[in-house]
Amino acid sequence: MAMRSLRRNPYLSALMIGALAVGITASMIAVTLYHARSGHPIPWKEDTLFAVALDPRDEGPDDNFARHPEYPPFQLTYQDAQALYASDIPVRSVMMYKAAKVLTPDRPGAKPFGVAIRVTTAEFFRAFDAPFIYGSGWSRADDDAPAAVVVLSKFMNDKLFAGANSVGRDVMLGGHTYRVAGVLGSWMPRPKYYDLNNGTFDIPEEVFLPFGWMKALKLGTAGNTNCVSRNAKFTGFESLLTQDCVWLQFWVEFRHASDRARYQIFVDNYTNDQRSHGRFPRKNNNWIVNVTTWLGMWDVVGDESRVQVVLGFVFLGVCILNTLGLMLAKFMSAAPIAGLRRALGANRMDIIRQHLIEVVVVGLLGGAAGLILTLGGLQVLKVWLFSGGLQDTENPDSVALVNSFVHMDLSVVVIAIGLSLLTGILAGLYPAIRIGRLAPATFLKTQ
Amino acid sequence: MIDMQAVNKVFRTETVETYALRNLTLKVNAGEFLAITGHSGSGKTTLLNVAGLLEGFDAGSYALDGQDVNRLSDNERSRIRNEKIGFIFQGFNLIPDLNIHDNVEEPLHYRGMPSRERERRIVASLERVGLSTRSKHIPSQLSGGQQQRAAIARAIAGDPRVILADEPTGNLDTTMSNQIMDLLQEINAAGTTIVMVTHNPELAQRAHRQVHVVDGQIAHTQQFKPWKAEEGSASVVS
Repeated sequence: MAMRSLRRNPYLSALMIGALAVGITASMIAVTLYHARSGHPIPWKEDTLFAVALDPRDEGPDDNFARHPEYPPFQLTYQDAQALYASDIPVRSVMMYKAAKVLTPDRPGAKPFGVAIRVTTAEFFRAFDAPFIYGSGWSRADDDAPAAVVVLSKFMNDKLFAGANSVGRDVMLGGHTYRVAGVLGSWMPRPKYYDLNNGTFDIPEEVFLPFGWMKALKLGTAGNTNCVSRNAKFTGFESLLTQDCVWLQFWVEFRHASDRARYQIFVDNYTNDQRSHGRFPRKNNNWIVNVTTWLGMWDVVGDESRVQVVLGFVFLGVCILNTLGLMLAKFMSAAPIAGLRRALGANRMDIIRQHLIEVVVVGLLGGAAGLILTLGGLQVLKVWLFSGGLQDTENPDSVALVNSFVHMDLSVVVIAIGLSLLTGILAGLYPAIRIGRLAPATFLKTQ
Repeated sequence: MIDMQAVNKVFRTETVETYALRNLTLKVNAGEFLAITGHSGSGKTTLLNVAGLLEGFDAGSYALDGQDVNRLSDNERSRIRNEKIGFIFQGFNLIPDLNIHDNVEEPLHYRGMPSRERERRIVASLERVGLSTRSKHIPSQLSGGQQQRAAIARAIAGDPRVILADEPTGNLDTTMSNQIMDLLQEINAAGTTIVMVTHNPELAQRAHRQVHVVDGQIAHTQQFKPWKAEEGSASVVS
């Protein structure tokens, strides 16, 4: 009966379903993109994994932090990173940066190509839970030596060794030979929280190199360097080691959440001590922040995403109101037939049930059409927003990253269906109850 | 069958109270064919609506088939409408997008009747009104007289105790009106009580008795012929 009622006005029904679908599409695309940005990459270490930021800046306003003058620079100087790295309060400390080198494949005819390298201390892999499929990382001693070892990403291992276990094999990087110590499995923290300097959403580096190679190779950073003191003079690689220029990411992991307080004291004491030597002119501004706070400081989600979600739902609201109006008009115009059915013996529940089935069908069809439109819309967005980045890539991780952005997850689907059903029920219940309440004769007279 | 005692029905607006029925007392016997006449606005249709439980009333008492309907719940009123009353309207009131078969099925549906029994009754009642070959037509494909016969089939399919007909021939020409009246008389002869509102004095005379309503009250009654007291309860369609 409900289906018949829908077919009675096919255009009106299509209009209602279409209005719902468009509203759901707009809001779901916004929610999907927001979701992709707002995810937590490592929730199980929320209480134990912390980024460290110190504030060696000169006094006075800093244009780089106009919006949040209270924030310290997000990276550390080499001198400070070295000092903090010596502490044994954290169970793991990681100092690191991003670099780039040319890799020469050991295959006749294969052309050398550039690779992104993470130059890092040994604990990187365990601190950030990077999974190994072959071998393992290296030791602190390998950092100091430095040992000629590398860890490869899965993509790089696939590319160089066709995915075989390459542990013990050699890799030629910038003219030096390194032995493969380990190969990572698929790993794509999203956002790339451990280093947000080169874009919030980026794939991990392809090669991982012990930190000692920084000095040994005079290997500069491919990331961001910011000299925070007026006295700092940047003249080349050596300046990275001696001047107040920040360029290293620094993370600590504690065994117990309570160690954080001890570590804060340690860091504060360090900067106090430095102040007595003429550095750190500002009062202590040492931040030891968990991943959630860190992502907030970097504004990973971004106001735009939030505004998009709000606008998406406002638009959905408008569409719902439209559908509501159409349904009310439809049901009220069909009231005489409902009145006739009452005369023939239908009770209130019969009438309400019939209306509800009709609106649930409209809601479900609207939701389904909205989901299909959302999937289509996300594919269009993928082409628009990311086609540049995907054109030259052969790295499946990049493709996977983009896909993960436009991937609608289950919770979004559930929200969409729930919303459309709620809309339908809201739109259908009122007229059904109204018709049910009035005496059947009221509507028969208007027949 | 119908026993109304001093029934009042008042329509209220903010400023005016209008008595549609005023201390109306009416008794309709089982098996009787009663015609209600009166001018427009005299309260005929309200009387029929109250009798058919399509509207409540404000004072008095009303027993239908021996059951006091004063304090019934909405669900119980729906059930009584469905099981004991058949309605025939001036405008036919068929559901436009249902075919004749499905229109006749509508009240049986609400009774929760098994489909085989529903089918048997639909076939029998359509045959009874001479529309068995039109069961797949939708109302707009039929003439006015055929539509009214379909409405009668719908009214009798549930084997009601009483049929309430509100100007059943009001939209029909004389020939068709006579056919409809023949049909109603046949149904009445088979034992179903009929209460019919009409403007037409000639048609009214085909009933056993006529009551004339003026200002919500029965002004006079005229007996045209005696009716036989109910002999068993012969079903109309079986």
